[in-house]
Amino acid sequence: MRLFRWIVILVFLILTLVPFLWLIIASFKTSQELFSDPFGLPSNWSLFNYLSAFSIHPMHIYFRNSVVVAISSTLLGLIASTLASYALQHRFRLGRAMFTYLIFGLFLPTSAFMVPIFFIIHALGLYNTWWGLMLVYAGISFPTGFLIIKTYMDTIPRELLEAAQIDGASFHRAFFNVILPISYPGIVTAAIFLLIMAWNELLFATLLTQDESARTVQAGIRFFLTTYAANYPQAFASTVMAIVPTILVYILLSERVIEGMTAGALK
Amino acid sequence: MFNLLRRIETQNSVILLYLTPAVLLTLVFFVLPLAFIIYMSFQQWTGVGPVTHVGPENFTHLLNDPIFKRALLNTLSWVFVGIFIHTPLCLLVALVLWRRPFMWKVFRTIFVFPNVISTTAIAFLWYFIFHIDLGLLNNLLSILGLANWRRAWLSDLQTALWGTQLPFIIYIGFGMVLFLTQISTIPSEIFEAARIDGASEWQQDFYITIPLIKRAIALQALFVVGYVLKMFEYPFIMTGGGPANSTMNLSLYIYRKMITANQYGLSMAAGVVTLIVGLVLMSFVFLVLRRFERE
Repeated sequence: MRLFRWIVILVFLILTLVPFLWLIIASFKTSQELFSDPFGLPSNWSLFNYLSAFSIHPMHIYFRNSVVVAISSTLLGLIASTLASYALQHRFRLGRAMFTYLIFGLFLPTSAFMVPIFFIIHALGLYNTWWGLMLVYAGISFPTGFLIIKTYMDTIPRELLEAAQIDGASFHRAFFNVILPISYPGIVTAAIFLLIMAWNELLFATLLTQDESARTVQAGIRFFLTTYAANYPQAFASTVMAIVPTILVYILLSERVIEGMTAGALK
Repeated sequence: MFNLLRRIETQNSVILLYLTPAVLLTLVFFVLPLAFIIYMSFQQWTGVGPVTHVGPENFTHLLNDPIFKRALLNTLSWVFVGIFIHTPLCLLVALVLWRRPFMWKVFRTIFVFPNVISTTAIAFLWYFIFHIDLGLLNNLLSILGLANWRRAWLSDLQTALWGTQLPFIIYIGFGMVLFLTQISTIPSEIFEAARIDGASEWQQDFYITIPLIKRAIALQALFVVGYVLKMFEYPFIMTGGGPANSTMNLSLYIYRKMITANQYGLSMAAGVVTLIVGLVLMSFVFLVLRRFERE
């Protein structure tokens, strides 16, 4: 029984870690070493693959685009989610219906909406721009952010809001001075998730960008391996680069990420 | 009295103001697209020029398209694999880590890590692993003396679909966390009592833990369906849908019909089918859960 448990753990550790270790080691190898000595260490731990990746494709511009789009879409998503969650703390007619309306996208497969979202972004004149991706990411990840923040706000005792109102605080004051400061942990969890989702997104980044003026890292690394050019060492290096920011965030905040995964889901 | 009414009235309009951004985002990215694809799936349209009403022709066309059938079957295969292989593995690891073995928190952090980084990067990683020359798998087989097992895994009709599904199957972090969270809500007295009655740990897992987390299992099934229906990265990056469309799925089919074929009506009809498949599968999960909960 004990042995069986450790076998399970060991198997999954190997399945998880070995591929990534291999990827990282391979990303430092020359093309020749990749093919001739797939298990060896690189003879020379140089950053050549990483640096040359930047000269083959404008990775630094892809990075800039990814950062701008991830941060701006997260901010927009957070504002919409926080304001809506606060509004729903008040009882009003159709409050339940409004909650259902806002959450209904949670389980919809957004890939079914490729064509309409493409034409909406086109019609707004936002094809191949930061703004287009920002709006789409804020939109499709809104139900997730909203669910996390709403669930957190629901744990705040109602008496707090009622007391503020009896003391004469206006709707806005009660929000900014009472609810917003204590909702901060929920908002941070939502922020981490929206950032990671936006950073990792591929489908709409591919669909809504055309060149480096808006192309993100995830959409960009594909171009290291095309029918015309197979830059394997740089492809390995750029794959590592595409996950380094998320790894850093995860190392710093893993407890929070893991706790946030089920926030709201099990209610 | 008048003042109070006024206050309620302004309060309602302020509530509406706070809801505006959320309502607009939902409207633009969920409600309008939904209405649009349902309406447009009955039209023929190339993206420019006139829209012609063709009735259910798009759907009959899809059902007669062998590539669409392949895409639909493959997506159902993803659902099957997700619910009957991936989810039991999530449960297995959760049951192991729940007993809090040495360093269990470290293991949990490691197992969740692939679910946090981009699926695009994981798809590339496995594309490299399955690579015929430089790939980890083929070279490992050579070392083990199994060189005749070497093959071009992702261009082989027999292995390509499994190849694209494998990373999804083995990265169990999300489901594991879902189950761990649910298990931690079970009062420990129940296990205490079972232990006193002489129940082995296996028996505790099967007769106590699993029945008590069926809600989480149903929820995981819902997540799997939602995740798999929009699965795009693995086939798009690893195989491009090939060889001979054997790894094509619904998302990639929608993308292809739109980008390479400019058949927008067909593309949106395929989107409607995706939504219907999702609706049917999710209702089914709910029905199964209801049945089990009544017992």
